[in-house]
Amino acid sequence: MSAADVDLRVFADYDRDVREEADVVVVGSGPCGAVVAKELTDAGQRVVLLEEGPPFTPADYELDGPFSMARNMREGGLRTTLGTVIPTMQAICLGGGSLVNSAICVRAPDFVLDRWCSDFELPHTRRADLDPHYDAVGAFLGIAPTPENVLGQRNLLFKKGCDALGIPSEPISRNVRGCRGSGECFTGCRSRAKQSMDVSYVPAALRGGAKVLTSVRVEQVLVEGRRATGIAGRVVQPFSGKPSFEVRVRARRVVLAAGCMATPVLLQKSGDLANGSGQVGANLQFHPGVAIVGVFPELVHPQFGATQGYQSLHFLRNGFKLETLWAPPAVLAVRMPGAGLALKQRLALAPHSAVWDAIASCNRSLGSVRARRRGLDPKLTWNFHPDDVPILAHALHTLARIFFAAGAKVVIPGVHGVPEELHSLAEAEILRTRRFRASEFVTASNHAFCTTRMHGDPRRGVVDELGRCHDLDGLYIADTGVFPQCPSVNPMWTGMALAHRTAQHIAAGG
Amino acid sequence: MWISLLGVVALGYAVSRVLLGYPRPPRQMAVLARSEAAFVAGAAEATFPAGGGIPPSGLDADLPGYTDRLMAAAQPRMRLLMHLLFFLIEHATLFFPAPGRGGRRRFSELDLEQRAAVLEGWRTSRLFPRRLVFASLRAILTMGYFGYPAVLRQLGLAPYEIRTPICEVDLWYPRIGASRASIRLTPADLTPPSDGTPIPLDAPLHPAYREGAA
Repeated sequence: MSAADVDLRVFADYDRDVREEADVVVVGSGPCGAVVAKELTDAGQRVVLLEEGPPFTPADYELDGPFSMARNMREGGLRTTLGTVIPTMQAICLGGGSLVNSAICVRAPDFVLDRWCSDFELPHTRRADLDPHYDAVGAFLGIAPTPENVLGQRNLLFKKGCDALGIPSEPISRNVRGCRGSGECFTGCRSRAKQSMDVSYVPAALRGGAKVLTSVRVEQVLVEGRRATGIAGRVVQPFSGKPSFEVRVRARRVVLAAGCMATPVLLQKSGDLANGSGQVGANLQFHPGVAIVGVFPELVHPQFGATQGYQSLHFLRNGFKLETLWAPPAVLAVRMPGAGLALKQRLALAPHSAVWDAIASCNRSLGSVRARRRGLDPKLTWNFHPDDVPILAHALHTLARIFFAAGAKVVIPGVHGVPEELHSLAEAEILRTRRFRASEFVTASNHAFCTTRMHGDPRRGVVDELGRCHDLDGLYIADTGVFPQCPSVNPMWTGMALAHRTAQHIAAGG
Repeated sequence: MWISLLGVVALGYAVSRVLLGYPRPPRQMAVLARSEAAFVAGAAEATFPAGGGIPPSGLDADLPGYTDRLMAAAQPRMRLLMHLLFFLIEHATLFFPAPGRGGRRRFSELDLEQRAAVLEGWRTSRLFPRRLVFASLRAILTMGYFGYPAVLRQLGLAPYEIRTPICEVDLWYPRIGASRASIRLTPADLTPPSDGTPIPLDAPLHPAYREGAA
């Protein structure tokens, strides 16, 4: 299809105010919103998909990590929480986070879904209920384990260490076709192998007849009585966010898929909508992540290989998941301790180094999302519960064990109060025995959830398990905000499966 | 009377300490003030001195220039925080002097060893906020250092040249800022998708990272 055959608008195309009517307006083109748009278009509905960011072509990618983040992340990629300080990110581009994530796809484990069902009155969110939706998304995106020929040493050493210790591990399943191992998932896949939403679900929606309006910032959900009737917003210039033309879309149904840090702000800015439960913006959870470096005697060539190609799900019930990691060197190097010549000496070992990380399930550590007085950026507050902190220490100790089992000579834990270099398992014992404070770890998290959580009881949740708002007809939420608790694994596939279910429900006339 | 005079002298000292006597940076900066460029250069030299395992120093890597570009790309709120960060460390030596003679000078005027000692104090502080301040500064400097192509080449971490397949969306999405009318590609330009052939370790580097590239 040529450009004339698809209904897409970019910033330079707008020359007047925009008025649209549709069956469904979807706010946000990330993994969840893109699924809803495509599925509803396929079902014959008139869909308008709105995205605040622009489409990025490969020529727009920045190879330098910080500049890449400055362009495709909200707040320039420098967003942090108050309370316990933790950096977190939210993408602003067509395809949302899928453009700049490492494409990890993991189904939420049974014990998590069982807990969601029992603790949050969600009787139809069990494994058997969600698997058809996981399967549909997986088939469309070609989700498959990372092929061995693009794992690279960095990933294979993780397997070697796990095998030596008898820890089950596996290649990570990803939404990727034809990976060449460039390790550039976080700055945009120049091989066009990653099936990010801008090259998969959004084009499918466009082919099906959806209208996709980029560079549109949604500022308000429109309501008449007890019913959502559309949205109002503005055309905004890429990067500067400078507003221009007005945008109004009237629709029979409004699906908010702006992400768990933006959807609550949009509801709050719209007059505290859908908040009879008081849960809008509450319950913010993260998967705090910690990374650790291992230095091997042999060359590792860490720049080659799938960005995140291997994982172990063995410790999920202990509260953490282990993964391999690569990122733009400028971003990874920030983790290296020291200064001066000692720092340079350590950085010079990069060709012999591998970086692995752990993400922790911290259900006791909660926060909130609140609208700022001006603008739509959220004010995030989050506090690391002291009882969750030992999970990180356990995870780092386990990673150190795997490193030494794989043949690493030095492990660099990057934890305050711990020697900058550990040379043996005995030295790594400090990670197991010492009592840490949260502030002693260097953590970050790009997995965020629960700010518009689903709950069977309208007094305790914002939406039901189909994504319908309890308080407002015609309003749906389809992003990770609907998770009732953290999923313990990377959230994208679960979010998409739930969005797929929501779309099917809407298509069926729900 | 004496108190007023003392106040005027103190104010004069404070103003001169904050505003005066900074060298002109080697080139025009878009965002960084003259004082900030001097501070970043001083911190860059202390964090990445000449020698050691990677030949280029923080000054070779033009970290003031990188920081200036990064701040220009940052959002106003973040830019303000960076200005405050630089101001704080530059002038904190007034209250927490560097070791040795003349340790009460502003950071950018200290000797290299004194600057290194001051940063080490921030880095190893028992107070989390002080460590956080140091981590923020060092993150900016490290990102800049690794943004320098020679550093990445030295470590074998420079991006490869990759021929991006042309797919259907390239007929629809213009470059950011351009209109869709600017797209010149046609269906005849489409190429096969990636076949999954691994990139060889000795593949050519991206042109911007080759030796001699600007």
